Amino acid sequence: MSLKKIVREFREKKSNYCYRNKAIGRRGRRSHIAPEASSVSSSSLSNEDHQSIWVDLPPELLLDIIHRIESGQTTWPARRDVVACASVCKSWREMTKEVAKVPELSGLLTFPNSLKQPGPRDAPIQCFIQRERATGIYRLYLGLSPALSGDKSKLLLSAKRVRRATGAEFVVSLLENDFSRSSSNCIGKLRSNFLGTKFTVYGNQPPLFNRKLPPSMQVSPWVSPSSSSYNIASILYELNVLRTRGPRRMQCIMNNIPVSSIQEGGKVHSPTEFINKENKKKKIKPLMDFCSGNLDEESVVEEPLILKNKSPRWHEQLQCWCLNFKGRVTVASVKNFQLVAAAAEEGKNVNIPEEEQERVILQFGKIGKDIFTMDYRYPISAFQAFAICLSSFDTKPVCE
Amino acid sequence: MSSNMIMLKSSDGASFEIEEAAARKSKIIANMIEVECVDEDKAIPLQNVTGNILALVIEYCNKHIVDDDDDVATEEASEEEEEAKKKKVDDWEAEFMNSMSLETMFELLLAANYLNIKSLIDLVCQTIANNIKDKTPEEVRKIFSIENDFTPEEEEEIRKENAWAFG
Repeated sequence: MSLKKIVREFREKKSNYCYRNKAIGRRGRRSHIAPEASSVSSSSLSNEDHQSIWVDLPPELLLDIIHRIESGQTTWPARRDVVACASVCKSWREMTKEVAKVPELSGLLTFPNSLKQPGPRDAPIQCFIQRERATGIYRLYLGLSPALSGDKSKLLLSAKRVRRATGAEFVVSLLENDFSRSSSNCIGKLRSNFLGTKFTVYGNQPPLFNRKLPPSMQVSPWVSPSSSSYNIASILYELNVLRTRGPRRMQCIMNNIPVSSIQEGGKVHSPTEFINKENKKKKIKPLMDFCSGNLDEESVVEEPLILKNKSPRWHEQLQCWCLNFKGRVTVASVKNFQLVAAAAEEGKNVNIPEEEQERVILQFGKIGKDIFTMDYRYPISAFQAFAICLSSFDTKPVCE
Repeated sequence: MSSNMIMLKSSDGASFEIEEAAARKSKIIANMIEVECVDEDKAIPLQNVTGNILALVIEYCNKHIVDDDDDVATEEASEEEEEAKKKKVDDWEAEFMNSMSLETMFELLLAANYLNIKSLIDLVCQTIANNIKDKTPEEVRKIFSIENDFTPEEEEEIRKENAWAFG
């Protein structure tokens, strides 16, 4: 910033600033505390008596302060300070949202919204899932394990298993104990068919690119007052008709992740806010560049990303199937898996770089009784990863 | 090292004498000295800084100019000494900031920004950031007398975020 500019800026602010100084001197320091503003417009209160000097803080200094909070509080529960900053007023919120980068860039989860944004491209986000058999509740925590993370683990999502005549259903909620389908905390669900071989993941975000859905995958009506539901992924377990012993095989069709996302320079259109339709129509200009895909203007028909199991090796000495979980899975279980991007299917022109086909996008496995680890990375989100893992909990006698 | 003295004049007319080396902590004043628009016997007027705030700025600059000199003079100082010295400065800074009200902090920050004293901006910003840590949004609003200007829709979204983050 040039000297001239600084001087000019200060001249502009000067009159205001000097006046305030006098006002403080007259009333004594810290004497004017504004009443806690209500959510109703409180503009009538904003006379001199209630206005704060902090409103005049130059934006670059406020940004500096928020930046310090953000970079100092990278682990939970301290990270909630960043959420608090985004809840103070409009200007603070705007700045905080700019400073707290999406998980893809920062590797950090800050707002509940980040659960629906793709994970980081390099190192995965490490989570664990705790199962409560008695209640059928599954909890997803951010952290290495209950033993290693302790109080630092952050509850990300909870899911409750509900038995239905036609199969199982999991309701996924932001909160510990709110599984009411009409609640806005309920962000999606997972429903299985009768055999437990096919699962459909429903979310409240519409598919973000167009493709022709085969009739079997079309959205079935599941309507809640707060959110429409969209089929965002299908998980298919391969039937094991011969009932030979071997690992389960599954395929996940990610309806709102185009396969181009993992091709060079690819990206995922992901939500910046928990969108309800009004917001979307207003076309709020997002701060982050990555989400500014013009959804309404271009309708590209694209193939969805398909995930499949990374093939385990048969270990002759141990007489078992093995995968390298890099120390994150310690107990052998039929549920353990690693998912990678599926290469080209016949007749389809899907070009995925070789190294991408090797990179594990989601890893899930057992580390103790009712404790499992879940590590995910770009291009899937925590919610999508959790839904895929939940499907593995549902017993599938015909798949093993 | 020059022991030239420079006169600074606050907005409310108070004059302060300060060593040139200390005054150079401010990029703005250093710049003025560089381009020789400082008259030997004339005070530099600082229209945006009041006397009580300028006194704090000078206290800070004087303290840090001494430290900077020490750094040059004692190149052979052991690591332990270095650490002890750094701790002394940290303690002094903590004490310096501790004695201040939030309003003074605010004015000091504006003055540091105006005079372009990077290390002082950093110190005040960090102190304010520390003041915000572990606070709820309501507490932050109260401390800084900031008005809640959210629409009911935004309010609802924020309520949800907080329920998740603080839950």
